[in-house]
Amino acid sequence: MISTLTKGERELAIVILGILACVGLAMAAAGRADPLGAHGWLIIALCVPMIFFVIAGYYTPQPAEERLSQYYDDPSKAGIIAAMVWVVFGLFVGDWVAWQLVYPDLTFDAAWSSFGRIRPVHTTSVIFGFGGNALIATSLHVLQRTSRARLPDQLSPWFVLVGYNLFCLIAVTGYLMGVTQSKEYAEPEWYADIWLVIVWVVYFLIYLRTLARRKEPHIYVANWYYMAFILVVAVLHIVNNIAVPVSFGHAKSYSLFSGVQDAMTQWWYGHNAVAFFLTSGFLGMMYYYLPMRAGRPIFSYRMSIISFWGITFMYMWVGSHHLHYTALPQWVQTLGMTFSLMLLVPSWASAGNALLTLNGAWHKVRDDATLRFMMVAAVFYGLTTFEGSFMAIRPVNALSHYTDWTIGHVHAGALGWVALITFGSIYAVVPWLWKREAMYSGRLVELHFWLALSGTIIYVFAMWNSGIIQGLMWRTYNESGTLAYSFLDSLVAMHPYYIARATGGLLFFLGAVVGFYNIWMTIRTAPAAQVSDVRTDIPVPASAGTPALQPGE
Amino acid sequence: MGVDHDTIVGLSKSFGLFYLIALSAAVMIYAYWPSNKKHFDNAAKTILRDEDKPWR
Amino acid sequence: MFGLHYKLERTTIGFALAVIVAASIGGFVEIAPLFTIDETVEKAPDMRVYTPLEIAGRNIYIREGCYACHSQMIRTLRDEVDRYGPYSLAVESQYDHPMLWGSKRTGPDLARLGGKYSDEWHVAHLINPRNVVSVSKMPPYGWLARTTLRIDDLGEHLETLRRVGVPYTDEMIAHASADAYGQARPDSTYAEAVRTRYGEATQIRSFDGRSNEPTEMAALVAYLQILGRLTDVATKSAAQAGE
Repeated sequence: MISTLTKGERELAIVILGILACVGLAMAAAGRADPLGAHGWLIIALCVPMIFFVIAGYYTPQPAEERLSQYYDDPSKAGIIAAMVWVVFGLFVGDWVAWQLVYPDLTFDAAWSSFGRIRPVHTTSVIFGFGGNALIATSLHVLQRTSRARLPDQLSPWFVLVGYNLFCLIAVTGYLMGVTQSKEYAEPEWYADIWLVIVWVVYFLIYLRTLARRKEPHIYVANWYYMAFILVVAVLHIVNNIAVPVSFGHAKSYSLFSGVQDAMTQWWYGHNAVAFFLTSGFLGMMYYYLPMRAGRPIFSYRMSIISFWGITFMYMWVGSHHLHYTALPQWVQTLGMTFSLMLLVPSWASAGNALLTLNGAWHKVRDDATLRFMMVAAVFYGLTTFEGSFMAIRPVNALSHYTDWTIGHVHAGALGWVALITFGSIYAVVPWLWKREAMYSGRLVELHFWLALSGTIIYVFAMWNSGIIQGLMWRTYNESGTLAYSFLDSLVAMHPYYIARATGGLLFFLGAVVGFYNIWMTIRTAPAAQVSDVRTDIPVPASAGTPALQPGE
Repeated sequence: MGVDHDTIVGLSKSFGLFYLIALSAAVMIYAYWPSNKKHFDNAAKTILRDEDKPWR
Repeated sequence: MFGLHYKLERTTIGFALAVIVAASIGGFVEIAPLFTIDETVEKAPDMRVYTPLEIAGRNIYIREGCYACHSQMIRTLRDEVDRYGPYSLAVESQYDHPMLWGSKRTGPDLARLGGKYSDEWHVAHLINPRNVVSVSKMPPYGWLARTTLRIDDLGEHLETLRRVGVPYTDEMIAHASADAYGQARPDSTYAEAVRTRYGEATQIRSFDGRSNEPTEMAALVAYLQILGRLTDVATKSAAQAGE
């Protein structure tokens, strides 16, 4: 790995790691009586071995000029492995948390293992650990291919990847120690937030520099989505995390906003994290890997442009649908609801675009589990966005809010859309990256597909049922005009659904373990005898460059 | 703050609407302008070209 | 003429700016008016600030992720008002940095929990919820009763809160640690000063049932007992509506 860095990059890497280790030391000293100190030691414990690792490879020969005639894929490879590690860990914790709602004493009376602390471990591991690493890895892969240009240098992608995983690690270990801002999906404290901003700026610069050197005049639409993901997440992250730390020796900080402003800022962030992290980025993935795997160009490129601007513009307005009937002014609630409904148009345009691309390739969907992952993901994307718009309607929200229905909706999106499109893309890209003919085992991909699909369906149906029952029980009156059920009645009614949910989650987790094993074995098996054309595993279009015209064009 | 609440709400309600209409019109016209069609078709096919090396 | 977008794509920075502009206007139009909202929001002149002990308790509530299962926001719906009490007003969370409205009710809403149960009930419930509520799904929090509360840095906490807009006085900041001790230990010499600084209604009790150093349990119970009771503006407006 070090051998791919130039001498100057190796030196710079040592300097950066040295600075980071010093920052870690300062944190350890200033935060002696605080969890901040533990994080200081964690940073030192990670940076010092990395410094030695770079020094050990310092005198290996420099990479040849030839490298410039190849894409630089090592960071993408590492990112995909990291994503798989995070997803196995995150799903394990998620299922554990789900079983805690069945058997609440599964915390073993320890502080770190209680529901409130490990729930964010689950959400951060799967959203940021798995999703984020997959986005970084695939975006660097797609960016180079669609620009037909190599990444501008070798060090900055490693900085982004390692730095981003450091952020995730600080976040997750922090929750276990009780370090949290309590803002959902923005729990990490101020120092982790500052670090993420630095990483993110470098990530954006890689994008700008590569695009500036591109040989293809047009920027392919997948890159638009990736760019919107990078840019808007930066804006959201900075605004929502403005806070004043108690001191430089405290992990704790106090949000600049309070009450209703804080609620609006938080859900403006929260819903747009869904929009630009979990939708925009993964749409970028879909717009590249789905046509590639199907061997057909996207059904309508123009529709993808319209959906892009629609999603980029309208999502920003919808956050307030999380606050219906609260102390938030009503006009803001109405605005959020209206835009949530309008958002269905660009969302369905994207889902339809994906499915129509497969028109004429359905036999491939039948035979190829990888393509089927992407197809089902597009279906779930369509379903979830419809459900989301529906739940944003105020009277519907009166029933669904605060209940498990929301959890079901989120998981229809997170498992059905985000995870499936990611697994599909990873199964497509792993053989290309490692120059293998195909995945180690096609049957294991098939097995993973069915485990993931059945897990998702069981999970989502369980939560729909429990959520609607819960919502109805809370609002049912008896004949004398008093509430018919106590809160505890509704809690008891949830029990069977919580068992079903945890079972569905278990299936999904097992699928990810199968996937991890399959990817691991693909990497370990020797490359197929000197594959000259690395893309032999994708169905080659009839004649590259001039596919038959599609209906609607 | 110098500006009062009603002014800001008013601005949000009026300007926000016009902005929305103008933006969607611009995007639609751009996407469906006939002379852009060839360009987009090309863009859609460009990823499928079978090669795995940067152009130099 | 429609080469404009084409050029926009060619200049990546221009494209990036276009994305930011398109995306940020929605947020701006929605959020900016909320920062002038004090002009339209109801006033609560009698509202008091959290005491240092309650702030410490609130931080434990945040640390343990209680907000993941408990909301603190009663919506303007009949069944919620019947179940939990008068609906929440914006002003009630004006000193909440950050707000803890929550998004999920795996357990019940806590916005008006204060005074509903005794301190002993809360301590027993937190040590093992199933001792009190047999079907509860809440995790046990026994270690709170075993952990001494850190109070030496509460002055810094109050000072930071003042920086973000909570009206703490110099005196409150200077005596934060002593006040935290005094509020949880009514027999100590520090107790009386808490009442003079934070008002007659301040609850000064041994929330954890102990007499030595206050535990984290004392702080958390003190916080739970003040929920919904910093001001009575919500109850008053509910009473007026009923007349």
